[in-house]
Amino acid sequence: MTQRPAPAGEIRRRGALSFAAVTVAGLAATAVVATVSPEESGHYPTCPFLAVTGLYCPGCGSLRTVHALAQGDVATAWDRNPLAVLLLPLVLVAWAAWGLRLLGRRAWHPSRVPARWIWALLVVVLAYWVARNVPGWTWLSPS
Amino acid sequence: MSYNAPPPPPSGPVGQTPPPNNLVWAILTTLFCCLPLGVVSIVYAAQVNGKFAAGDLAGAQESSRKAKQWAIWSAVVGVVVILIYIAVIIIAASSGTSTSTTSL
Repeated sequence: MTQRPAPAGEIRRRGALSFAAVTVAGLAATAVVATVSPEESGHYPTCPFLAVTGLYCPGCGSLRTVHALAQGDVATAWDRNPLAVLLLPLVLVAWAAWGLRLLGRRAWHPSRVPARWIWALLVVVLAYWVARNVPGWTWLSPS
Repeated sequence: MSYNAPPPPPSGPVGQTPPPNNLVWAILTTLFCCLPLGVVSIVYAAQVNGKFAAGDLAGAQESSRKAKQWAIWSAVVGVVVILIYIAVIIIAASSGTSTSTTSL
């Protein structure tokens, strides 16, 4: 790291600003997806991976999942992208823990996740990617 | 995201903290950034703690940097695709041709 160390107050201020920016951006994106339905075609661009290959990637259906979750419809959210339903709570916990750390509390940090769990996540993501494209196995696909 | 207080590791170089693994950004770009570039970010996120625990601080920092870089590239490509999509719609609308956007 070539950056010179900043004073503690400056680091705290920068952290608070990043947290505020990420929070506002996350809420704004969620509000847009909750309001403008991704279930209707033409509202959002098709994933370029799907458009080019005709295959579902691990993220396919995630906007529809967020839309359904914002409406409180967990069943539809699960139908569109079950992996997103499982991983989004982790993202929210990481966000909350980040906020707690900025308040000076001791809280969990994503860098504490053991390496083998992240490797396991990689295997799950790759297996999920393949499994969603198996013909007839529609329970993992976004349709 | 700022990681101003990474936790002390159970192992690794003495007196050092592990570099951020940027795992959350890797997950977000895997799920939301159209192109599956975020998966590469997960690979580098997984390398960070493993290299750090093995005493390879420079390698861990390099993996941390790459995890961040791939997440950023994934996000940038996602935004560029959306901008191109909007531009195409505006051009189609202004030229008066009613192109169908079904299944887009």
